Amino acid sequence: MLRNHRQEMVVALLFVLPFVLIYGVLFLWPTFQMVYLSFTDAPLIGPGEWIGIENYVEMFDDRRFWTSVRNTAYFVVLTVIPNTLIGLVIAMMVSRLKGWQQSLILAMFFLPYILPVTVVYRIWNWMFNVQFGIMQYPLTWIFGKATPVFRTQWMFMPAVAFVTVWWTCGFNILLFLSGLRSISTDIYEAAALDNASRWTIFRRITWPLIWPVTALVLTIQLILQLKIFDQVYLFVQGGRPDPSMVMVQYIYSQAFQKNEGGYAAAISVALFVIVIVFSILQFQVLRGRGQK
Amino acid sequence: MNKIFKLAMLSTTATALLLSAVQAQETVVWWDFLGGGDGVRMKSLIERFNTEHEGEITIEGTTLEWGTPFYSKVQTSSAIGEGPDVMTYHLSRVPLGVDSGALAEISTDDLAAVGLGADTFASANWEAGQSDGKQYAVPFDIHSIVLYYNKDKLAEAGLLGEDGKPTGLDGADNFMAALEQLQPNSEYALSLQTSGDGTPWRVFYSLFGQQDGVFLGEDGTFLPDDSIPKAVSAVETMASWVEGGFAPALTEYEGSVALFTSGAAALHMNGVWEVPTMTDLAAKGDLGFEWGAIAIPTFFDHPATWADSHGFAIPSNGGKEMTPEKKAAVFEVIAWMNKNSLAWADAGHIPAYSPTRDSEEFKTMEPNATYSVLADTAVFDPKSTLAGVASPVYDAVANYIAPAMNGEMSPQDAIDEMKADLQDQAD
Repeated sequence: MLRNHRQEMVVALLFVLPFVLIYGVLFLWPTFQMVYLSFTDAPLIGPGEWIGIENYVEMFDDRRFWTSVRNTAYFVVLTVIPNTLIGLVIAMMVSRLKGWQQSLILAMFFLPYILPVTVVYRIWNWMFNVQFGIMQYPLTWIFGKATPVFRTQWMFMPAVAFVTVWWTCGFNILLFLSGLRSISTDIYEAAALDNASRWTIFRRITWPLIWPVTALVLTIQLILQLKIFDQVYLFVQGGRPDPSMVMVQYIYSQAFQKNEGGYAAAISVALFVIVIVFSILQFQVLRGRGQK
Repeated sequence: MNKIFKLAMLSTTATALLLSAVQAQETVVWWDFLGGGDGVRMKSLIERFNTEHEGEITIEGTTLEWGTPFYSKVQTSSAIGEGPDVMTYHLSRVPLGVDSGALAEISTDDLAAVGLGADTFASANWEAGQSDGKQYAVPFDIHSIVLYYNKDKLAEAGLLGEDGKPTGLDGADNFMAALEQLQPNSEYALSLQTSGDGTPWRVFYSLFGQQDGVFLGEDGTFLPDDSIPKAVSAVETMASWVEGGFAPALTEYEGSVALFTSGAAALHMNGVWEVPTMTDLAAKGDLGFEWGAIAIPTFFDHPATWADSHGFAIPSNGGKEMTPEKKAAVFEVIAWMNKNSLAWADAGHIPAYSPTRDSEEFKTMEPNATYSVLADTAVFDPKSTLAGVASPVYDAVANYIAPAMNGEMSPQDAIDEMKADLQDQAD
């Protein structure tokens, strides 16, 4: 019997081995390397000298690092909750439709999500173009003159956040829609028999029952938006890079433009820690609320 | 039997011949960042090279995006040995390129073998390709910024002299007066890039150089105290063009060119590399006005214009050695390009190769002949690992000088913050 058990163990290990190997080589090893690099003065490629925590000391003193942290946080605030709420609202509206109408509307909302970021950038750069962009009509009406949105400092982040929500909310709608579909219609019927108002139905039935999906969407969004890079990098081209620098962009600029591999690794570790801490915290908080 | 033998022999020789032809054919992988009107000229130069060297050397050219994208790619690909065999490189960036280990040393013996050396280039130009006395780049041209003008509009405003060239533009006040005269008949009197790096740096450095400003002191100080007021007045002059509505605010490079070529702007400050754009449009009859180009006017004490050079460099490719055949081919490419650089002058540039520059054909080439005087008073980028194309200095220009041009920041603050930022990165 004992021998049999051991044999089973061997077989089991054999089965998980490919995953463990790939996970180790492609995730654990690079992560370990990144942490190691952050304690050296390595250039972009190749090894460096061990310099202890010097990179971290420099980082805490680096004005641009803090700007990038602030901007990343600002972007997260601008996107995570709005994106989730908008996704939920649209999903609830779409779920009232039936048959092909639902499929058509859903496809329309999902369409932006399949576009590559460069295409999204092109579309919105044209839409907001100062000379011929269609968005200049409402903007001129509001501000009294044509406004270069991506060149006006206070508008930059909100505008990029807006484009991001437009681009990615299709996926959230899909998640919410499947969540809404899994709520049994019996419950709604019972509520309707009890003469519950629409708002009460939403507050007492839909919202609590959809909560696990909401928590999931919020967490996915948080992790995704903390890693913001492409949109900001693309839209800032030809403008002022520093005031709207986000963390991944700063890592890129240190590593690839300034050849400071070690320092870039230190910032990466900081981002890694931030992502882990926030996602665990958020998921715990959200799960707790859902269980009450 | 005999017949078969003969046939076998024949086929063997044929195969051998074919093989040797294949072996002798060297392919030189070439990267450049020449995407504008000058890129078209470079492509035809490469084609000419390939036809003249048919069966021996073929250049396989790729054009990448100018500036940061190009240099980031060179940096990373060179480090892992995946770089090209030869590439265009800004001489202003040689210090940074050498410091980050992207460039391979070029032996002067190899250059001498193809007829190039210190004596075939102007000395400042030749030395700009060096670091610690070693050669890392071979100059190809000198390029600068010029003032393009719409002859029709200048004539209307009475700003053309007897010789048909613009007059009365020297001095910051006179220039401002000229802008005021030009403004009523144009959307903008002057178009120039007012967002990002590039033109803002080039114009700033020219106006700064006209006051003998020092950007990087010998002790490693950026903008030493007595140069700060000079830098501030340079930025103030640039900001006054936008503030007065004479120049477009927050306009990117392409937009600034379009404003001039569409006839919306009377004057245009930009690099000589846009000369082919104007020439080609005029040749097709799409320009709709007569154009010309002169050296940047003197706003302050004496003439001075920013200048840089395109050169050729060989990536270090992670220490990978080239085969002697490949190396010979690469040097043949570099030498041939320089010896045929008259065609490159057609792209607006001033050839670096002295025999071409001194040739009668170049001296009568227009508009180059009009503005080539600028070479005598050119100011080159500071020699530093923080300076040069796509360097921290360029980033600082986008972050501080461009906003100051648009009135988002006072010129004094812009210069103070730029100094602090660069000093911070240097220490």
